[in-house]
Amino acid sequence: MRQTQFDTIYKENYPKVIRLCMGYTNGNESQAQDLTQDVFIKVWENLGDFKNHSALSTWIYRITVNTCLMSLRKKKKLRLSNNLPMHVESNNDSHSESREQQFIQLYGCIDKLSENSKTIILLALEGLPQKEIAEIVGVKHEAIRVRLHRIKNELTKCVKK
Amino acid sequence: MKEFEDIRIKWQNQANKQAPNNGAKKVIEKTRRLKSGQRLTSIILSITVAILVIFFFYVKAYSMQTMTIGLGIMILSVIVRILMELLSLRQLKQIKYDLSLGKFKEEMIAYYKVRLRTHYIFTPIILVLYVIGFVILMPLFKSALSTGFYTYIKVSGLIVLVVGAYLIFMQIKKELFVLRSLIA
Repeated sequence: MRQTQFDTIYKENYPKVIRLCMGYTNGNESQAQDLTQDVFIKVWENLGDFKNHSALSTWIYRITVNTCLMSLRKKKKLRLSNNLPMHVESNNDSHSESREQQFIQLYGCIDKLSENSKTIILLALEGLPQKEIAEIVGVKHEAIRVRLHRIKNELTKCVKK
Repeated sequence: MKEFEDIRIKWQNQANKQAPNNGAKKVIEKTRRLKSGQRLTSIILSITVAILVIFFFYVKAYSMQTMTIGLGIMILSVIVRILMELLSLRQLKQIKYDLSLGKFKEEMIAYYKVRLRTHYIFTPIILVLYVIGFVILMPLFKSALSTGFYTYIKVSGLIVLVVGAYLIFMQIKKELFVLRSLIA
């Protein structure tokens, strides 16, 4: 029963978790996969403790943010990744090349941000409402609104360069 | 990718991010492996402590005052170090990863501060006690063992000490780096 529930949670949340992890690993997919596995290990271990005080996805995002940041602190800083997703690397047409460049640039711009700003923008990229981002980061809603506006501008400017 | 909304849509449409087949099953299996690994570590540490205690009685260390003190200090310092490490691991496991980032950072900073205090105060004391115990035993080794074996014990003891101190130093450096990045 619990395993079936976990299987559903895993399938539904895997894409969100790995995207978030890739944001922290500067686009390094293999490292993001390892982090994603660590995240789901914690989800599986603590599933019984989950109370419906927040949405399940918010709970998983919290675990993801804390796991990724803690693991990366223990490792050396990553360089800009040459290990982009397979589907981007394998196509040689100009469209996918330009797409690849865009993602390299985007990951590079995200990587320039501070740890907290990175978390805020990654959650915003996932489409989370400001209230939920504030809950995950642990700051007031108003504070997030101001900061998010500034980080969005910073990121957009960097990507435009 | 000009405006933020444009960036967001492209971000969410990154292809090939579907969950791998049997992924959930693999996660459960890995959790089981990790847990049995942790159990194994506890068993190994308990066996180490048991061997040290058995050794103490086997060589009848209690029959000679110098040996009792020397070996006793060495065994006790190892046991205290093991217990401190187990306690620290337990404290780390109690920190929940589903806390908000701010709260999680606070708890991790508190944990690493205690770790560093342990490294700076208790670890050197334990190390010094271990060396004192070893030095107390040296005259006994000298009188009971051949010159060659005595030299071997002296040299290997020194090597173990240097390697141990280096490993401790590296661990402190690593944890200090983590603490600094948490505070930054």
